[in-house]
Amino acid sequence: MAQILVVDDSSTVRNEVTDFLQKNGLTVITAVDGRDGLVKLKGDPSVKLIVSDVNMPNMDGLTMAEKIRGELGNATVSIVMLTTENSPIMKERGKAAGIKGWIVKPFKGDAVLATFKKLAGA
Amino acid sequence: MSEPKDLISKMLVLDAHPDCSDIIKTFCDEHNLVGLKAQADNVMSVLKSNVDLGGIFLWENYGGNAGGGLAFAREIHAVRPELPIFLRRESLETVEDFSPCDRKLFYAAYTAETIGKLTDVIKDSIFSLVYPNALVRGITDMAKTALESQFRDVTCGIETPYMVRDRFIYGELFTLIPLESTWCRGYMMLQIEEQPLMEFIKAEKTYVDADGAGFRDINNVLGEITNLIWGGFKNRFVSVAETPGNLTQVPIIVNHLHRYISFGSEDPQLCFKYTLVDNNDRSKSVVVHQRFVFNLNWSPDNFSENETSVEDLFDSGELELF
Repeated sequence: MAQILVVDDSSTVRNEVTDFLQKNGLTVITAVDGRDGLVKLKGDPSVKLIVSDVNMPNMDGLTMAEKIRGELGNATVSIVMLTTENSPIMKERGKAAGIKGWIVKPFKGDAVLATFKKLAGA
Repeated sequence: MSEPKDLISKMLVLDAHPDCSDIIKTFCDEHNLVGLKAQADNVMSVLKSNVDLGGIFLWENYGGNAGGGLAFAREIHAVRPELPIFLRRESLETVEDFSPCDRKLFYAAYTAETIGKLTDVIKDSIFSLVYPNALVRGITDMAKTALESQFRDVTCGIETPYMVRDRFIYGELFTLIPLESTWCRGYMMLQIEEQPLMEFIKAEKTYVDADGAGFRDINNVLGEITNLIWGGFKNRFVSVAETPGNLTQVPIIVNHLHRYISFGSEDPQLCFKYTLVDNNDRSKSVVVHQRFVFNLNWSPDNFSENETSVEDLFDSGELELF
């Protein structure tokens, strides 16, 4: 049972984000790419918020978001992208997939904690 | 952050004549060169260990023998053929009296009285590419932000950016990532020594779990730093409308035995050096060497900076809600 799913192919980022969220009282699970993210989400329906990278091997974060809304039919989980990308084209694609927000790395936890808690239902 | 200083380059000065030291030093000061001296019996080890030289000033009588500089030049060329050698002669300003084979060892010759003629030669051989200040400043901004985001409680120092002609690999680990735009095509390379970074990981200076950390974790830390700088570069300097065509590639040659890497281009490379110092133990540090090799295209006349992205840069880490 977790509130937040962190999806990133970089273990450094997974550790950084997970440590920060757990220290602030949130429960977290992780996935290593978009494909793994879909599996983890299906396995834990309690996830309320997904924080995902965009550029990942096997399946990128935007494709994962599209599949969550499409194939999984999950319209309720909130999705926020955490990425080095800042392209308007990618952001438009994200909006179309129903993602809630976009963060350009590096991750600054204090700047987003309140919003993450709200989206995670904490 | 303040404006970057002018680019510099480090020169090995193999000229022990006391009357000429001041002349060479003055020339270096006036041309953004930093002179490094070495003892005659130590030259080869210096050349094998120094990774960031732009060229060599050599006296034709270096080593105490008349014409001894030529023998040195042959040895130097054998181990570091990419470094231009500027030969100071007693009377002649050319190397026309040398054999055809020996002439090729030298980029230029000069006398103490005519050192000024090296101005154009230095520009041609070392500062041949123009790097806009906005680019140099932007790179250091992005790299500092990326480095500080991946380490806890460290101070990031940045040396004056410099130009090198050598092809040496620094440390045991490096990353390469392509940079593609209408005004440049090439690679960024980050290079580090493995052990100091492992010590930082074990001291919990990174976000890697210190227990059982191995070389894959080191790869991951450097990989993420590379990713952050690459993303920043794209967001700040590459227009979203750009779709490079003509995707020509050339072989990148790596010789681990000789710690040698070639990108197929003879152009000098733009370099940066960062030192992360543990704020709790100043004796511990991690040095990161960063190189930009625009071997496939370099058109600084078309360089542009994305103004909106410069503003976005200061908003990195903040959530943009849709």
